[in-house]
Amino acid sequence: MFESEAVEKGRLRQEIDELTAELNAKKQRLSELVATTNHVDDDNDALSPNQIQGKLTNDDISRYSRQLILPDFGVRGQLKLKKSSVLIVGAGGLGCPAAQYLAGAGCGHVGLVDYDRVDKSNLHRQTLHTVGRVGMHKTESAKIALLELNPHCLISCHSRLLSRFTAMHIIRDYDVVLDCSDNVATRYLLNDACVMLRKPLVSGSALKLDGQLTVYNYGATGPCYRCIYPVPPPPEAVTNCGDGGVLGAVTGTIGSLQALEAIKIIVGLGDVLAGRLLIFDGSTLQFRNIRVRSKRVNCHVCSAQPLITELIDYEQFCGMHATDKDNPLQLLDPEQRIDAVDYNTLQQEQQHLLIDVRQPAEFEICKLPPAVNVPLAQILDDSYLKQLGPQLESKELPIVVLCRRGNDSQIAVQHMRNRFPEHSIRDLEGGLHAWSRLVDHSFPIY
Amino acid sequence: MNEENKSGTININILFFAKSRELAKTSRAVFAVEPVVQAGQLLKQLVDRFDLSAISNCIILAHNENYIENLDEDIHLQQADEIAVIPPISGG
Repeated sequence: MFESEAVEKGRLRQEIDELTAELNAKKQRLSELVATTNHVDDDNDALSPNQIQGKLTNDDISRYSRQLILPDFGVRGQLKLKKSSVLIVGAGGLGCPAAQYLAGAGCGHVGLVDYDRVDKSNLHRQTLHTVGRVGMHKTESAKIALLELNPHCLISCHSRLLSRFTAMHIIRDYDVVLDCSDNVATRYLLNDACVMLRKPLVSGSALKLDGQLTVYNYGATGPCYRCIYPVPPPPEAVTNCGDGGVLGAVTGTIGSLQALEAIKIIVGLGDVLAGRLLIFDGSTLQFRNIRVRSKRVNCHVCSAQPLITELIDYEQFCGMHATDKDNPLQLLDPEQRIDAVDYNTLQQEQQHLLIDVRQPAEFEICKLPPAVNVPLAQILDDSYLKQLGPQLESKELPIVVLCRRGNDSQIAVQHMRNRFPEHSIRDLEGGLHAWSRLVDHSFPIY
Repeated sequence: MNEENKSGTININILFFAKSRELAKTSRAVFAVEPVVQAGQLLKQLVDRFDLSAISNCIILAHNENYIENLDEDIHLQQADEIAVIPPISGG
């Protein structure tokens, strides 16, 4: 009975997925046809007021009425937006709200670049995705949401990692590019490609409660990313949202402002945030506008004599992968590590000391019962010696160190072994993720 | 440096953003500095005092919300001036 229900559930889910994909394809085809027809109408650029009026359909007029009546925007702004194309790189915390406002406002063509698929941990901030679309490509999921919002918008999905081999080809077709990515390598790649193709780049970023926003490569004197940050940060100084955390309302704030700047660029409205850096501090709710430099005369990519004239290997340049996924570290020898299954045996048979080196906020989410919490920073500054004191005296007491995924635990073990070379100090390979996978399937992962 | 210069320091406010806040373990600090200091020298003092060496190559400094463009130039500081330490954020 339960078996057949489970089978039926699976079958229904699959059928619904297939039907959704088919529906989606039809919607896409329709919007392509609508777009082609509009382009035929739009051929003449020199428009008299009456002609302009003629370009907006009744649906357009009622749909966009609240922005059409803005004196600085008006029919002319709406038509510019309708003819515009914007590429959004990253359909995540920044890209979702940005795409939502651009499609909603009537941007004619929105391109989405993302190789990743929707995960449950995205939903708190990636506002276009839904529980039902977990596992789907983020681009396709976002497209469904955007077409529901505005079926007149043409949505193109580029469901692959943006690389130096694909970037120029993809970016070429768009007027404005939004950097809604989550890693350093992609940020340099996008910057260089946009400089080479002379596209304005609206760059947003967010982490924890902090956000930054600026427009690169805009106007005659506007700097590029390399003018401001010629050297990438070292990998160990870079925190991603998966490790550092981020609030959805913070990415939402920055992503919305990216849409605003894109609209201003397209319509020719107000003062674009070029040569200025907006610093958003969500904890005090302060916005600071820092006047940054103009172009760097010796910039490697945007100066008159650039050293970089074609795209390079950005993962190598930054020493980091072009994703925000953690790279598993390999710092310890195999005998300095214990796998989750062996640790399960050890914990039942032997007295030991289990040290969890995650942040207290993470320790509160879930923990193994015998664990004591000593955050990595306290291991590295040696304040753990005081905290654990007597328990470190006997070298007979085996010590196991763990964290979420098994990277920080290796750093901690390396540090501790230098001081206690005679002790048995090992890290739990793969951390709590491995524990959940190999030993206790009911253990929560985050 | 003579005694007169040492006693002639002023207090400025340092604001830390993103990763620098984590490394400095605070979001703001009062810092004693000479009223005229080479920007690169100020950066070095801040890196040493607030443990910022991991990001010293990729931070920008802003003096009263103005980017300090040339680290070789002297900057003129007044009591309670604000220096913002801004590393890039890459998440999204």
